[in-house]
Amino acid sequence: MPQLPSATRRRRPAPPDTGLGQRLRALWESRSLRLRSRFRRRGLLAFLAVMGPGLIAGIAGNDAGGITTYSVLGADTGLRLLWLFPITMLILAVVQEMAARLGVITGQGLSDLIRDRYGVRWTALAMGVLLVANLANTVAEFAGAGAALEILGVPRWLTVPVVAVAIWALVLFADYRTVEKVFLSVMVVFLAYIASAILAGPDWGAVGHALVTPDLGGLDPTLLLLMVAVVGTTITPYMQFYLQSAVAEKGIDEEELALEQADAVVGSVWTNVIAVFIVVATATTLHAASVRVESAADAAAALGPVAGELSSLLFAVGLFGASVLAATIMPISTAYVICEAFGWESGVGHRFRDAPAFFGLYSFVLFAGALVVLIPGLDPIGLIVGSQNLQGLLLPIVLVFMLLLVNDRALLGRHVNGRWRNGLAIACIGLVVALDVVLLGSAALGWLAVRVG
Amino acid sequence: MQFYLSQVIGRPVLDRHGEPIGKVADLIVAIGDRYPPVTGLVVKTDRRRIFLPWADVARFDTSGAQLATPTIEIDKFRQRDNELLLFADLQDKQIVDIDGRKVVRVNDLRLDEIEGKLHLVAVDVGAAGLLRRLGVEGPYRTIARNLRLPVPERYIDWEDVDPVETSIASIRLRVPHEGLRELHPADLASIIDQLAPRDRAGIMAAFDDEVVADAIEEMEPETQVEVLEDLEPGRAADILEEMSPDDAADLIADLSDAARDEILPLMEREEAQEVAELLGYPEDTAGGIMTTEFVAVPEELTADQTIGRLRELEPDAETIYYVYVVDAAEHLRGVLSLRDLIVAAPDRPIREFMYDEPVAVEVMAGQDEVAQVVARYNLLAVPVVDGEGRLVGIVTVDDAIDTVLPSGWKRRLPRLFSRVAP
Repeated sequence: MPQLPSATRRRRPAPPDTGLGQRLRALWESRSLRLRSRFRRRGLLAFLAVMGPGLIAGIAGNDAGGITTYSVLGADTGLRLLWLFPITMLILAVVQEMAARLGVITGQGLSDLIRDRYGVRWTALAMGVLLVANLANTVAEFAGAGAALEILGVPRWLTVPVVAVAIWALVLFADYRTVEKVFLSVMVVFLAYIASAILAGPDWGAVGHALVTPDLGGLDPTLLLLMVAVVGTTITPYMQFYLQSAVAEKGIDEEELALEQADAVVGSVWTNVIAVFIVVATATTLHAASVRVESAADAAAALGPVAGELSSLLFAVGLFGASVLAATIMPISTAYVICEAFGWESGVGHRFRDAPAFFGLYSFVLFAGALVVLIPGLDPIGLIVGSQNLQGLLLPIVLVFMLLLVNDRALLGRHVNGRWRNGLAIACIGLVVALDVVLLGSAALGWLAVRVG
Repeated sequence: MQFYLSQVIGRPVLDRHGEPIGKVADLIVAIGDRYPPVTGLVVKTDRRRIFLPWADVARFDTSGAQLATPTIEIDKFRQRDNELLLFADLQDKQIVDIDGRKVVRVNDLRLDEIEGKLHLVAVDVGAAGLLRRLGVEGPYRTIARNLRLPVPERYIDWEDVDPVETSIASIRLRVPHEGLRELHPADLASIIDQLAPRDRAGIMAAFDDEVVADAIEEMEPETQVEVLEDLEPGRAADILEEMSPDDAADLIADLSDAARDEILPLMEREEAQEVAELLGYPEDTAGGIMTTEFVAVPEELTADQTIGRLRELEPDAETIYYVYVVDAAEHLRGVLSLRDLIVAAPDRPIREFMYDEPVAVEVMAGQDEVAQVVARYNLLAVPVVDGEGRLVGIVTVDDAIDTVLPSGWKRRLPRLFSRVAP
């Protein structure tokens, strides 16, 4: 028998004969897919498709603790520290952009990368601190949500369980895109602060002037610590962890990098713009009337007599929305971080049985936070301060890791930081770390009582 | 010798005269084999990372490395396609299953010495590996022992890893998530070999008798005894029943008198009797290494009836290749190969086509003689007869060559006689 040439023998069996109709259909489908993807990458629509992780991380940064800090800042010092916000906006944008870039190019979360590159010990430290800080923060968010609705006459024991179950069910049963849309719609709630500031009737010229005029006159320790607290509450580790993991889960690819960078920057700008309006609202009313407040809920309540019931209502609604969103993001970012560190399947878009550890951790942090708030006689301000200190402890570590990672050519290839971007990043991170050391040092010395809260 | 990657990274590297030249930065393995051998060492010196071929390494353990060569060539290391760097490429990496789903991360890598060479055998994915990396494995084990807490150990056999699909981001498995639990008995054995007695009990409890029996058969004799004596006697008896009688007998012979008296009465009568018979022969004789599991049929049967009998008996892979023909008094009359049976006309009496001058050895024949017979006649198994020519057992080729080959080799032979169902 003649030996067949080897090429012939190895040839694969011919594909089953497909009819003309089928082939035309396949052709049509591939053409329409191409058209659709080209359409997807154009203009505003393309941005709307990518937008999400950065904006959500940004607005989640304006949580109960953030609003408290901004309210206190406005009530205590008026407009004179408003110039801080363009600076925090820049720093936050720089940091969030790095997280977005890492997420898009590597397709991995921050915790993934830290474990990959820096091993078990650093990961364990980051994970442990973030777990405790986020647990404390989640308590603070539920406290904020409860306090906000108490101003409207809804008791805390009703608000907290209903909110907890609702957001638990949303994340568990909805897919990633739906969850994201719901989160984004919370942005509308923040318009309440803009309205509240406008209602207060500030001198907009003075506001504009304060924004661009650094005023360091009469700098005393209390003022310095308040400034540190503003930076600390605006740039928090869970924002970077959430942003990068969400980008990785959403699967945004390299071609859409610019859009995702825009998303991160817009989120950073948005959160600081809202902060400015909060400060303007309380500065114009409470500071002018020399009313001192301890928390955001205090501020909302205090606004009633000074600026009218509507102002008070708007402030409370804003606080409620912000707290609920942050109460969802904290458990999610905790679950992302821990699952990534251990290499377990994670993601909001999975079903429970595909990512049991992720949803288990999410549920644990969420319900633990909600239950603690229901303990009578608990002081949420102490928790907020405690968790801010913990986040502050973690922040320098996270930022230094991020700086190292964005300079890693093996990871990012041509997307590593260029010289000027690195200079900017180092300057921003250096400033944050320096302020952070001040915050931690003062916390350690017990110098600062509950002022920052 | 076994150790984990994390125990050697950063250890000092000494030159031939004991002078330190740097630290262990990484180990290089060549993929392709079932368990990739270590082929080189990356050393971090003051100035740079240098590569050393494994042949230059005289001693390597958890205290560090010592080199054999007086001079080292300062080659810049360049990774080849079939090479993996254990620390850089594998440690801490994400493991995904065949469908791309995330499973777990690499906590540590397990290296074992096989035939005097170091090989990568398993990926440690258990909590014990994490604790080791955090530097608290020892303290935790002490606490766990006192409080009776578990120390969860989990390993993924390197065989289940697909190194070709392994990239910078993740390590891919060949199996779906669910397929992971199964460890090959030989690997389970090498893991059990390692564990402290208390931890062993936990592992043993997690697997059924058959798996544990297979694993015990693969262990070193001293460990076999330790493991069995640690078990509760009823379980030990159950496991012995699952082992092949020859291995069980060898093991029982090594047990302490007290343990033997406790375990033997708990075994099923039939198995106990077989073992007791085997125990009567000295260890280095045909009787000592034979098994009493074999297929013997009366000479009156036809080919078809014999095949029917085989179906009823469902013999193990080890013993199915030969069918022995005996008379009413169990004298060995002939032997049939499986092939003879299948190609014969169904109604033909086996007496007509059996090989009627079978090669056999006496029960008291020395082990070397058995090995020679097996080798000379190219047999898969040789029958063993007593003084009167009665068939009492068979010695399979793997047991026969044990004496001639070092035990490490045996493991490497194709698993033709594997007792594990594929």
